[in-house]
Amino acid sequence: MTDQDLDRCYTALSDALAAVGEEKASLLLATLSLSLIVKESDAKIVLDLIAQAGELART
Amino acid sequence: MGEGPQAGAPRLPVLIVGGGPVGLSLGALLARYGIASRVIEADAAYCQGSRAICISRRSQEILGWVGADRPLNAKGLPWTGGRSYFRNQEVLHFTMPTEPTERFAPMVNIQQYFVEEYVHRAQDRHPGLCTVTWSTRAVATRPMADSVEVDIEGADGRRETLSAQWVVACDGARSAVRDHLGLSLEGTQYDGRYVIVDIEQESSRPVERLAWFDPPSNPGSTVLMHRQPDNVWRVDYQIRDGEDPVEAVRPDQVLPRVQSHLDMIGETAPWKPLWISAYGAKCLSLRSYRHGRVLFAGDAAHLVPIFGVRGLNSGLDDVGNLAWKLALVVDGASSDDLLDTYSSERVHATRENIAYAAKSTEFMAPPNFAFELMRQATLRLACVDPRVQSLINPRQSSQISYPVALPGVGFPGSDGGAALRPGEPAPEARVRTADDRTHLTQYFGGGFTALYFSDTGSIPVAATQLTLSSRQTVASLTTVRVARNGGTDAATVVDFMGEAWHRYGARDGTLYLVRPDGYVLACWSQPDWQAVAVVLGGILKRQALPNLRLQEGSGS
Ligand SMILES: Cc1cc2nc3c(=O)[nH]c(=O)nc-3n(C[C@H](O)[C@H](O)[C@H](O)COP(=O)(O)OP(=O)(O)OC[C@H]3O[C@@H](n4cnc5c(N)ncnc54)[C@H](O)[C@@H]3O)c2cc1C
Repeated sequence: MTDQDLDRCYTALSDALAAVGEEKASLLLATLSLSLIVKESDAKIVLDLIAQAGELART
Repeated sequence: MGEGPQAGAPRLPVLIVGGGPVGLSLGALLARYGIASRVIEADAAYCQGSRAICISRRSQEILGWVGADRPLNAKGLPWTGGRSYFRNQEVLHFTMPTEPTERFAPMVNIQQYFVEEYVHRAQDRHPGLCTVTWSTRAVATRPMADSVEVDIEGADGRRETLSAQWVVACDGARSAVRDHLGLSLEGTQYDGRYVIVDIEQESSRPVERLAWFDPPSNPGSTVLMHRQPDNVWRVDYQIRDGEDPVEAVRPDQVLPRVQSHLDMIGETAPWKPLWISAYGAKCLSLRSYRHGRVLFAGDAAHLVPIFGVRGLNSGLDDVGNLAWKLALVVDGASSDDLLDTYSSERVHATRENIAYAAKSTEFMAPPNFAFELMRQATLRLACVDPRVQSLINPRQSSQISYPVALPGVGFPGSDGGAALRPGEPAPEARVRTADDRTHLTQYFGGGFTALYFSDTGSIPVAATQLTLSSRQTVASLTTVRVARNGGTDAATVVDFMGEAWHRYGARDGTLYLVRPDGYVLACWSQPDWQAVAVVLGGILKRQALPNLRLQEGSGS
């Protein structure tokens, strides 16, 4: 993914979160995560990323 | 109302309201083009506080045309990149595109009052053409049939009415002229507010843009730091949600936060505060920058968030765009439709600037919980995954391309065929010349320039130096042959590093016509000198055309 595309996706996701509101934001993020997860054939990669996100969220 | 304009007194060609960096630069550039102007400035002297401190490469080029680049670069601190930290960890190290052969650094830090002083002094290069009247404000603006009347008021309260052919409002964010005409800015304003503090402290740190997100010194805040000349640090930080912006600039609020941050980064030399101010991010613009005989430039026309430093830099680009067009119109060489292109081009530039600056602002001062949440995620992930670091990049100001070469002007014969599209900035290149010039862009900023890329060809119709009007320098064409080898002469430069041929995508015979402000106007894959005359004829009024014969020049 190019920097520009990443940037576009970042803004689109932020706007989508703002549109549903804070209360529904985690639901949107969970749904999006699942959609991206089923695109990945290697479960190990997904599990590592989940672990990493868990660690980072504690910082 | 005050005393009327004196009967028979010659009308001013151009009255500039506001002597900030934009108004003073416009006066200086018009003077270079032989056009008289008068600047009315409300304050008694140059601005207080450092204000806009980052001068882009493009602005340095424009200040070069003004004649202020030497003192600017002697005093200013050049820089090429920066670092961002999340808490204590570096999460981004960016550099702006730069080559060792470049004429100017991508960015130079300098206090705004120095820029104003250097530009004001540069006006003396053309004595008698630009006068600045300090401590005098415009209090009313009345558009008339073929002139504009402006009432001015001096420090002693005395009023006088001036009459000018053209008025350019450069009177800043709270423009009085804008109010006089009943116009208002449109757009959005962000909530987040930043405090700006200048402090004097010796430091041996390299000059870089430094940013800390959630630093231990000021948890939850964002702190930015920039070096300025004379051992001055600019420190910016975001004030907390719900914090009173008036309280937030009180020294007893500000100084402990600065101390805490200096302690954290290990800057231990003694320091003292010089200036404290505050700002909020705004994306605002007038719909048009031309209203009859009144034109708007700089902050009077548009306000852009300062992240990415597009404020003053876009104002100087306004000046570069407006000065040559206004000079041609005042001189009677072009019809005043040319000034409509100033508005459409610069409104386009503002839209682009706002789009970039809004992105920077969404990261630097998140406008809602969603951007805040995404930033929290990005900063954490950037510690372990460099692929997301680009999201932290501050997107520094870069030169805007225009959609077409010049709206409303036809370009028969311009067959393109080269790497650059009309409307794009003409690139810089290191070249060898017969005089003290070292770079191609040093040929811009006066009149029109034709760049003829050829190793062997002589300039067929030898348009080496063509003056289209006896009175001024804008209505002129200078042709430069850009050769890859051989010797230099008055009309030949040598592209000894191959930069020019590469960046212009040139082949033997490629001909570019460049606007006085350094934008590509037209290009041909083989030289067509008659087409050059036709293009220039489209910009200059018909009566100027008879002079437009590309005769034998003396240089080659
Ligand atoms: C406190 C502060 C901090 C800033 N910090 C930064 C920064 O860190 N980075 C950045 O990029 N930009 C910053 N800016 C913005 C930057 O200073 C402006 O973008 C830049 O000065 C615009 O130049 P200008 O000439 O258009 O307007 P100004 O510099 O505002 O000049 C307008 C001039 O018009 C004069 N004037 C006003 N009304 C009248 C009248 N009725 N008659 C005659 N004269 C009049 C004023 O006195 C002033 O000198 C800051 C601005 C402020 C106010």
